[in-house]
Amino acid sequence: MRTRTSLLGLAFVSPALALLFAFFLMPVVLTTVFAFTNMSTSTGITGGSHVITGNLLRDLGNAGVDDDIVAALSEGSFSVTPETLAAAAEAGVEPRFLGEIESSLMGQSFEDARSFESALKALPSRPTRIRDLKLATEPFERSILNTRYSSRAAMETAIASMVPDAPVDTVSAIAEASYTGWRWIDGGNFQTLLDRPETIRIVLNTVFYVAATLAFNVFVGLFLAITTFYLPKTGAGFFSVLWLLPRITPVVLYAVMWKWFTWDNGFLYVIAEQLGLPAFNYMKGSVPTAWATIILVNGFVGASFGMILFSGALRAIPVQQLWASEVDGASRWQQIRRIILPQLRWPILFVTSYQTLSLLSSYEQIWLTTNGGPGSTTTVWALEAFNTALNNYTGNLEYGMGAAMALILVAVGLILSILYLRMFRFDELVNKPRIEF
Amino acid sequence: MISLKTTKLLATTAMLLSGTMLAAQAEDYTITVWAGGTGDTSNYRYDNIVLAADILEREAAIRGEELNITVETQAWSGWDDFKQAVTLAAEAGNAPNIIISGHEDIGPWSQSGLLRPVEDYVDFDAWPLNAIYPNLYEISSYDGVVWGIPQDAESRPFYYSRANLKAIGWTDADIEALPGKVASGEYTLYNMIDDAKKMQDAGVVEAGKGFLPRPSNGPDYWQFYISFGGEMVDAETGKLVLDKQAMTDMFQFFVDAADAGVVPATHLGSTWDAFHEAVANDQAGFWHAGTWTVSEWKTKWGVEDFFGQMQYSLIPAGNENGKANTISHPLVYLLSNAGTDEDAAIAAELITIASEPRFNALHAVKSGKVALSDAQASIPLFANDRWAGIATTELLPHATAIPNDVEFGPYWTAMYKNLEASWTGTISVEDAVNALEAEVTSALGDQIIVR
Repeated sequence: MRTRTSLLGLAFVSPALALLFAFFLMPVVLTTVFAFTNMSTSTGITGGSHVITGNLLRDLGNAGVDDDIVAALSEGSFSVTPETLAAAAEAGVEPRFLGEIESSLMGQSFEDARSFESALKALPSRPTRIRDLKLATEPFERSILNTRYSSRAAMETAIASMVPDAPVDTVSAIAEASYTGWRWIDGGNFQTLLDRPETIRIVLNTVFYVAATLAFNVFVGLFLAITTFYLPKTGAGFFSVLWLLPRITPVVLYAVMWKWFTWDNGFLYVIAEQLGLPAFNYMKGSVPTAWATIILVNGFVGASFGMILFSGALRAIPVQQLWASEVDGASRWQQIRRIILPQLRWPILFVTSYQTLSLLSSYEQIWLTTNGGPGSTTTVWALEAFNTALNNYTGNLEYGMGAAMALILVAVGLILSILYLRMFRFDELVNKPRIEF
Repeated sequence: MISLKTTKLLATTAMLLSGTMLAAQAEDYTITVWAGGTGDTSNYRYDNIVLAADILEREAAIRGEELNITVETQAWSGWDDFKQAVTLAAEAGNAPNIIISGHEDIGPWSQSGLLRPVEDYVDFDAWPLNAIYPNLYEISSYDGVVWGIPQDAESRPFYYSRANLKAIGWTDADIEALPGKVASGEYTLYNMIDDAKKMQDAGVVEAGKGFLPRPSNGPDYWQFYISFGGEMVDAETGKLVLDKQAMTDMFQFFVDAADAGVVPATHLGSTWDAFHEAVANDQAGFWHAGTWTVSEWKTKWGVEDFFGQMQYSLIPAGNENGKANTISHPLVYLLSNAGTDEDAAIAAELITIASEPRFNALHAVKSGKVALSDAQASIPLFANDRWAGIATTELLPHATAIPNDVEFGPYWTAMYKNLEASWTGTISVEDAVNALEAEVTSALGDQIIVR
């Protein structure tokens, strides 16, 4: 019976476990794996193949590989011999065409594909389509240059077929160097981040952004909650809904509205112009206004979150305490300082810690508004990680470096979580209340 | 001249058999085409593939075959989203059959196996591909392999407001002589700053609008590096080059322009709309943009008499080390590794037909691009378009192209980032160039030569 119960429990939990695994554990594990690689657009994610190119041969030559080996590997030719004809027949080249190749080109050799193709074009039974003609040249070819081999062993065999006398370790080294996929680079990405002078600037930007937005969130959230608490119920409801708008508006629409508000010839621009104040694109036109914009954009979203939580907590304060204080002649300010704020300690701590973590990893509002500009003055860590890994003008997506940056963010988040849990003694928060009302 | 053999043997068997046995059977293909950086005036970039499909179907019908090709097109106006979409779709195995992108993507995309070499699918000795200028094939090649077919090319001139030049005392003759003075190096970028300042001081243009550079990242910024004597690639070794002196001078130029007040320190990241609005209405003195933007100014921004309103030239030299220049950034048709070999062969035939001079002329004239062949230049639609002719004959001969090197992307990203940082005054020019050097040498190692 007991087994059945626990199995049932497991069955109920299993969807959650599966989701946890798929959407939390896997991304973290993959991010960790990616962070120690040089994965990028040019290496691909799923692994590479082995290919010897002209550039690789040049590099091998510079690295001291024997000139004869390099020369042999760079050779390519097309020859019509009994063996290549047999290979062509096996590959399915049309027999009549093959017969014509045999009778007119037997024993001949061509240095490049173009000359061989033009010889084939002169034959009466040549395939009409150029792709078919090119495929028919394949079996006559002897070259490994620019050919992609899916495994290292296949590449080594191919190299050995071109340079049978080459030492085994040279063949192995060339095959290794010919790999196009990603490689493990240990802590290389983290070292690069440490060496980059801009890293410190992005860290400072992030700290400023999180601190300023957080302060706005908490103070405005608190202010709204307390003021609406003292308002008549209907008015309070209206204001609460109004302040929720930034949170419930889709983020793209919200960003577009801010653009209308702060852009050239936008709302603020027109007002400022009328008043004779400096009118420009406030979102991107200067560093202080750009910062003000993104702090407000994010701040209003977060303030409504704080407001809801604080309002809920305020309603939980026994109203008798407020009545009693009024009997004792306490002013509103005294009520707030002595009764309300002490009892809002846990919600304030919760909002602070929760918002710190979510602001650290948020970039979408910044991306959609200032996009880190002007220059990169409002670029924060999460936005830089996103741009590095997934979104930049040159299309050079550095998954490895982006993952390293994301991993640092995860680590910072974890450390902060632990600190918050310790500092704010969450265990006490979840303890059974000592006083029952 | 050969490559991508792994899948070939199977394909050979399948195709050569199918070519003879199943000729009469109806064949259906869906070919997807994705184009990047494609605005309203560039619809022929993908519409030419649709036209080509019609012709290919008719050719098949004449041979007695039934060929049905559905072309699905998608265009992105920007590059970030487009390149992200292509790269991630390819990783997921959903890449489009035909990709129309900048030639500089060939390096990384060919290494990652995203592309099929186009030279394995087309005949360069036959019409119309044999008509295209050979130097364009050099730009669409990487590491000895031709990966793409040039789709268009352009140049990126410097423009001047005739009205505003006259307002500070220039005569018509002075303005006509300007392109020649720029080409000879007599009129430099610093002369331009002085004149932009004059315009602002005289109240002809608003402060910060004397000189309007491109508001976002683009190949254009490499032109200024060349203006100060920079080289992107070492001719001898083929490696990338960071010329610290040229880079310092170029960064310094934009800082000097900002200090002189002719361009805001926060200009980068401002909007294209504000840019076009200003230049089309004579609110700016000097600016630079692609040849194709002339079409946009006419169709979207109300410029009626381009030649009467604006003067153009190469990008002026910056100092005695550099030269007047322009960059051409040809877009290329690329074949992805998506689909079967037969799909790729059909896609290649479509690209070939779309490269007919008449089709290329449709795109070039509508979007303000240059000719890819003499044959295209002689198509009446093209030949009668004054601007297209000038762009081809006067500007293109001075054009350089950015390299296809697989490592150029990281170098470019780092260059722009540090240009932006010094321009906004966040760090000094010296620190920006040192940061750039540190970044590229740590990322590229000995793949880049620092001078």
